[in-house]
Amino acid sequence: MNKEDENTPGPMTDLLEFKKHLPKERILLDLALIAAGFVLLAPILNVQRVTDFMIFCIFVLSFDLLYGYMGRLSFGHMLFLGAGAYGGGLCIRYMTKDPLLAVLAGIIMAGLLAMLLGIIIVRTTGACFALINLAFNQVGFFLVLSVLREITKGEDGIGVVPAGLGWLNLGSRPVMFGFVLFFLLLVFYILRRITTSPYGILIRSIKEDEARVKFLGYNTFLYKWLTYVFAGCVAGLAGTLSALNYGYVNPNFMDTHRNVDVIFAVLIGGAGNLYGSIIGGVVYMVISNYLAIYIPRWEMFLGISLLILVFRFRQGIWGFVREQGSRRSVRGEIGVKKG
Amino acid sequence: MPREWGRQKPTRVMEMSDNSTILEIKNLDVAYGHAKALYAVSLSLKQGETSFVIGRNGAGKTTLLKTITGLLKPLNGSVIYEGREISGSPPEKISLDGIRYVAQEKKVFGNLTVKENIELAAYGAGEPLERALDKVIGLYPKIRNFLKIKAGQLSGGQRQILLIGRALVGEPKLLLIDEPTEGLAANVIEDVTAILSRMKGHVSAMIVEQNLAFVNQLADRVYIMKEGKVEREIADRSAISDTREFEQYL
Repeated sequence: MNKEDENTPGPMTDLLEFKKHLPKERILLDLALIAAGFVLLAPILNVQRVTDFMIFCIFVLSFDLLYGYMGRLSFGHMLFLGAGAYGGGLCIRYMTKDPLLAVLAGIIMAGLLAMLLGIIIVRTTGACFALINLAFNQVGFFLVLSVLREITKGEDGIGVVPAGLGWLNLGSRPVMFGFVLFFLLLVFYILRRITTSPYGILIRSIKEDEARVKFLGYNTFLYKWLTYVFAGCVAGLAGTLSALNYGYVNPNFMDTHRNVDVIFAVLIGGAGNLYGSIIGGVVYMVISNYLAIYIPRWEMFLGISLLILVFRFRQGIWGFVREQGSRRSVRGEIGVKKG
Repeated sequence: MPREWGRQKPTRVMEMSDNSTILEIKNLDVAYGHAKALYAVSLSLKQGETSFVIGRNGAGKTTLLKTITGLLKPLNGSVIYEGREISGSPPEKISLDGIRYVAQEKKVFGNLTVKENIELAAYGAGEPLERALDKVIGLYPKIRNFLKIKAGQLSGGQRQILLIGRALVGEPKLLLIDEPTEGLAANVIEDVTAILSRMKGHVSAMIVEQNLAFVNQLADRVYIMKEGKVEREIADRSAISDTREFEQYL
């Protein structure tokens, strides 16, 4: 291979070339802002709740990769959260109590499931994609509820009590908060770099027009499958963290009805944007956790909020903020010119 | 990760019918369900040649291009490109073999910037981004001003030029362009003509077109299609210059 060939980008190796797309300082600033936001929220809203919010945000980020970036709406993403929760939980119950190995087991479990199902699922689009995911989610729910009862203990679920992380006790709320925050920042960092790389451009273009991406020489099936698997792995991570945070795992972790939560969160925050996912995740959790205290049928309020979003703020909260920001900067430029 | 990921294996080499022929279509029958659109279409394109396919709406011109690009599978017949049978191959494989298709709809990736549109083509074709940008800017210097804006905000003419520029990224051997001047202002048609004139001799092109002045400026060969069949083939420049004869077929 001559030198020029070596420098010629290949479809995958160079699609993940990040450097020139995003300065390191910008990513560090993003991470610092997110960390500061959650640290400030913790004393106001309760550390355990905020830990739960962060886990949900990881789940929303994984869903956004699939829906917001690649344009594939899934009604069954809870399957991977549940797979991760059971993967981590079973690892702790039957193999080792090491929390990091449990996290790894959860990611592998969800990833393997996504690899297998992805071969079938990513060939579909639109309603078919959404419903096939829902169907597999339903199958998974009944498997852990009844067919695999011997291992999963059915409806009772299994206790998940990990060992400490060195001298750190994960049973302590602030330690668990830090543990989850670390993974949230790690996921955000990886996704930020992926979505701003040429690979990110590719999956956004698949969302727009897959046939034309093929005309540019890309095997879109491969990239859709990779994205599906990666989203599954991140959801699996959220599942394991959730099991570690609650100290148990049961079939509710795979409940198909809870798919609505993540869809609402992405729409509230703004699909196709990582900041939108974080904002949407937090806002949705605040609504569902606190409105329920004051309003008996809080879901109705959520429905009305969604209607307002659909008609008034189609880009979600983050999209609206960005739009206002860009309008102001345009007005500012005009003002400067006039002045 | 291996460099070959996402790429298709090269197609099987068949016998070369003629060394200077880049594309040869033999007895091509294509149908949409039960409705037949092409009847035993045969034509060929030589290396570096610009040939035009003209005809009325519904004559089968776009169907012909879509079949070459792999979007439609023929019922019968063959599409031989550089001596290899490519009919029935997937579009991404055909694209990697060096055939680029610019569709009639002038659809760019509207939510991506102009630069990202070019970048996507560059990575797909295995060409460094800087070289791809230089190539497109070289063809149409004004595009430098639009690199950072969303491609969806471009005018129809700018989109067409972006699409042609994007198709030229990565050393293509054959361009298939469907109605490049449709709906464009006269000055933009001049720009498109200038770009394609510069490519003449370097890249083979098969262009579907109804604008006879445009045909007259660029054509080395003209195929006239009528009701799914090739009615006439004209390879003589003087005959092509007399576009009045073509008017009865439009």
